[in-house]
Amino acid sequence: MEQLAQIVAEAPARLASVADLAELETLEAELVGRRSVLAELQRNIGSLPPERRPEVGRALQQARAELERLISRRRAELEREAENLLLEDDRVDVTLEAYRLPGGGEHLIQQTIEEVCEIFIGLGYVVATGPEAELGYYNFDALNTPPTHPSRLESDTLYLDWGDPADEVLLRTHTSPMQARFMEAHDPPVYVVVPGKVYRADTPDATHSPVFHQIEGLAVDRNITMSDLKGTLAHFAREFFGPGQRIRLLPHFFPFTEPSAEMHAACFHCEGNGTSCRVCGGSGWIELMGCGMVDPAVFEAVGYDPGDVTGFAFGMGVERLAQVRHGLSPIRHVFENDVRVLRQFRGIA
Amino acid sequence: MKVSLRWLAEFIDLPTDDPDVLADVFASLGHEVEGVERLAVDFRGVRTAEVLDVVRHPNADRLRLCTVTTGGDPVEVVCGAWNFDAGAIVAFAAPGAVLAEGFEIGSRTIRGVTSHGMICSERELGLGDDHEGILVLDPGTEIGVDFAGLVERPDTVFDLSITPNRPDCMSMLGIARELAAYYEIPHRVPPTDVAEVDTATKVTITIEDPTGCYRFVGREVTDVTVGPSPLWMRLRLQAAGVRPISNVVDVSNYVMLELGQPLHTFDLDKVADETIIVRRARPGERLRTLDGVDRELHPDDLVVADPSGPSALAGTMGGEHSEVSETTTRVLIEAAAWDPPTVMHMSKRHALRSEASARFERGVDPNLAPTAAARAARLIVEIADGVALGGVQDVIAVPKEPWVVKLTAHDVTRVLGPGFDRDLIGHLLGRLGLVAEPVGPDGLAVTIPTFRPDLTRPIDLVEEVARLWGYDRFDETVPFGKGGAWSPEQRREQVLRRTLTGAGLYQAVPLSFMRVEDLDALGVPDTDERRAVIRLKNPLRDEESALRTTLLPGLLRAARYNVSHGNPDVALFEIGKVFFARPSPEHPRIPDQPDRLGFVLVGTFGPTSLGRSPRPVDVFVGTALWRLLGHHLDLADVEMVAGTLPGLHPGRTAALRVAERTIGHIGELHPAAARAFELPGRVVVGEIDLAPLLAPRPAWQFVEPSVYPPVTFDLAFVVPEQVPAAKLVKVTCDAAGELVENARVFDEFRGEAIGEERKSLAVTYVLRAGDRTLSGDEAAEVRQAMIEAARRELGAELRGET
Repeated sequence: MEQLAQIVAEAPARLASVADLAELETLEAELVGRRSVLAELQRNIGSLPPERRPEVGRALQQARAELERLISRRRAELEREAENLLLEDDRVDVTLEAYRLPGGGEHLIQQTIEEVCEIFIGLGYVVATGPEAELGYYNFDALNTPPTHPSRLESDTLYLDWGDPADEVLLRTHTSPMQARFMEAHDPPVYVVVPGKVYRADTPDATHSPVFHQIEGLAVDRNITMSDLKGTLAHFAREFFGPGQRIRLLPHFFPFTEPSAEMHAACFHCEGNGTSCRVCGGSGWIELMGCGMVDPAVFEAVGYDPGDVTGFAFGMGVERLAQVRHGLSPIRHVFENDVRVLRQFRGIA
Repeated sequence: MKVSLRWLAEFIDLPTDDPDVLADVFASLGHEVEGVERLAVDFRGVRTAEVLDVVRHPNADRLRLCTVTTGGDPVEVVCGAWNFDAGAIVAFAAPGAVLAEGFEIGSRTIRGVTSHGMICSERELGLGDDHEGILVLDPGTEIGVDFAGLVERPDTVFDLSITPNRPDCMSMLGIARELAAYYEIPHRVPPTDVAEVDTATKVTITIEDPTGCYRFVGREVTDVTVGPSPLWMRLRLQAAGVRPISNVVDVSNYVMLELGQPLHTFDLDKVADETIIVRRARPGERLRTLDGVDRELHPDDLVVADPSGPSALAGTMGGEHSEVSETTTRVLIEAAAWDPPTVMHMSKRHALRSEASARFERGVDPNLAPTAAARAARLIVEIADGVALGGVQDVIAVPKEPWVVKLTAHDVTRVLGPGFDRDLIGHLLGRLGLVAEPVGPDGLAVTIPTFRPDLTRPIDLVEEVARLWGYDRFDETVPFGKGGAWSPEQRREQVLRRTLTGAGLYQAVPLSFMRVEDLDALGVPDTDERRAVIRLKNPLRDEESALRTTLLPGLLRAARYNVSHGNPDVALFEIGKVFFARPSPEHPRIPDQPDRLGFVLVGTFGPTSLGRSPRPVDVFVGTALWRLLGHHLDLADVEMVAGTLPGLHPGRTAALRVAERTIGHIGELHPAAARAFELPGRVVVGEIDLAPLLAPRPAWQFVEPSVYPPVTFDLAFVVPEQVPAAKLVKVTCDAAGELVENARVFDEFRGEAIGEERKSLAVTYVLRAGDRTLSGDEAAEVRQAMIEAARRELGAELRGET
């Protein structure tokens, strides 16, 4: 029995020194085989006094179990080592692009529109779209823009050779016509953003495009004030550019808002210190959009009571937002659809 | 509007001249600063000098030898300019002086004569661009003084962008009023009293068209000597971006910049009968304008005429015949108020944009005319030795008086928020010079001066209150809407886009235009709906002359751009509108403009493996994309069948149909069209109406996966050539009923063994029951039924089975 205890004690070291499965089999026979000490002892158990047999039998069984456990573990190790040797022959250069799934991606304009819309969805706005070929009435008159306004000239606005000439069917010059259309179709309160294409009489070149994209915003309710406009745009700027983003509103003029303002974001590129900053030109501020409180004349045009509701509206250029944040310039790259440019439009964080 | 701070100092004593501070003030008032120019003294050691003698350079025909003195010993200098004579006062740089850009003056020998310094031109002093002659100073200028003391430098010039609602701010006076309101300090107006002689002018003025001209003031100044303006005026005009011409013309520009009233000056001797008539142009009339262009006039053009014909385009540009010239001695000053749209259309029509038209388009205060005419007369008397005649002609066709706008504190607080009471509002408006009298419990009656045409309604005054209060002082609050979410259609569009981008396509954004010839390139016949083209009335170029009726030209052109720029593999899609010359179903007064999904594939597409050629695109890549969309958007209701569409390959085009209506096509571009768009190989395109794809479907319903084993077998059929594979699959699957879990064609084969006009289609089927293990007998029975159905309905023969 003492000899057996020693065999068990030495087994881990002896098993560890075994180099391959053949050697393991030899050792296994020696440890637990028919000619092993253990087997010998188990065979001889009948020669013991009956009262000792159960105790010795249990001890021998425990020793066998322990040895078999050690052997089995070592076998698994050796088998894995042997397989790993074989797998060496299966080695490949994993840096090789041996199989490639095609890329693909949404346009930066689309990504930007979605991101902006989702910021406003978070504020409880809905997203609406509208016609691009539009009536002069919605593009101008309903927005308090008189027939003599210079923006209605053919040098600024693209007119269509279709429909009743009195209707002045045109390509909308901003997303603002949807302000009027949406209010005509919905009673207040109204909280809506409108993304879409808009058109101007600009011959395409590197820095001009007759087509670009805007996102219109409109909030009409009881007790909407200038502070609501300012707070909403500040919230938007922080969501879009980052938590520390500052904005300012400066007085401006648009026919369909009063008071009107231009919204500027503090230049995140130079933080106001760059005299020749490529983003802000050194002013420290980036002009982002026009906005203001909805003019009472607009409410009258859509049949809202200007004594009952107030509201604000804003319109931002999507290309402008994308250009400012991603340095995409000039604008021709937006519409040229060069695959080398499209591949750069990775997802927005 | 360019604003020189030194000039502005005549109108207001500002508490600061720090350009950064003032730029912020202008911005906060709504006058965007587009640029700030620093005008420095770029020279030193330059003194005034008198030219005592001028002779020809002995050795050079084009040079002269001048003797000049700054009060001490005369010195000789060589000069190349000829615009002065002995007696002229000039700016003289003696040796040691430094001119613009660090140019140091020394004595040097020019053609054998030593020049002891230099007589300077404006450009050499950094004062302007003029270098045609030297700078001749005003007669009587003291000699020997430092010339730096005679120029208004250093100076800062702000370039302000004035919004179209503020005509009053297109002047130094208007800007001074704004700053006075901001700083709550007084401002000054320039003197306008004129020493008139007793003689009255004989000029008569008639306004025949009061819709175009509200007021016309004429003032006569005689005995003028036309010559250069004094240095101070020339420098101020230059700082404001206006080129000095002659004293009389400069005065009209100067007063325009000062007060905002554009003026015109006529040579009165060239005005027939000294009679001015304001009227519309008559058919066939022509006018040669100051820029030398002989213009045919339009009947809507408003002209200032004399009995012999038009002599100026009202508020836009004068005529050459009556232009003030060097020989002019009698001047008629015109200060008029023109109808803004009339001027705007005229200046656009004749492509004549001027400082004057820019102001008249916005609207010039009619009551400014007499003031401005007087100011101009005073200056012409002062600097051109003129004599102002009495009998000023002031014809008022449409009188304009100040008006009253009523405003309550409630009008203000409901837009700007609480915190504005009547006293505060009255105080803020008072800073603008508006007189606000209390009326009622919380009301104000505000009298509006005629120079503020933008203030007609209470809301206009609310804006002024906000502006003077300061936009930066408003709180920031965020109102919440009534619950926002993407609509079901918007969410489905997102799924559609992400399916295509996940498959490897890039989203393109081409312009929405085409040229009608693009339809010819596609081979679109006249009867095709794509010929219902809307053309632009005022197209920019031929390329953008029509609205697209199909997304294909834009996508094909984008593909072509890529191929020609070394990107041979192109996979683009677009979501956008097409436009048809027919009424929109929802809004009949505007054109039908449905949204479409389009795509184009050129070159190869799909996953690529090392050592294997990538797969060139063909129609099956397009239909695979469609199936992928069908899965993600649950489009089982859309059927794909063989179809045709002009522009596409007649044998490789699939039509997409919903309830017998075709909603789009997927196919290979017809080779002729591919050639026309210069695209190589097979080109795969698709164009599908978006609305049917985005319409929400009923929620799909869960099917418990069967726990029983499947039965899988293959059947190879020989069918007539015209039997579509999908039809075979459908007929056989219908015969198997609900047991079919999957069925897929895995081989198509033609050959002699099959026979002519026939093809073999091999299909693999997986059958499985949800509630039991299919027995061998049952499976065999179903299989027989499938074979029988194919034979019966399609004439299919079983070629083999496993």
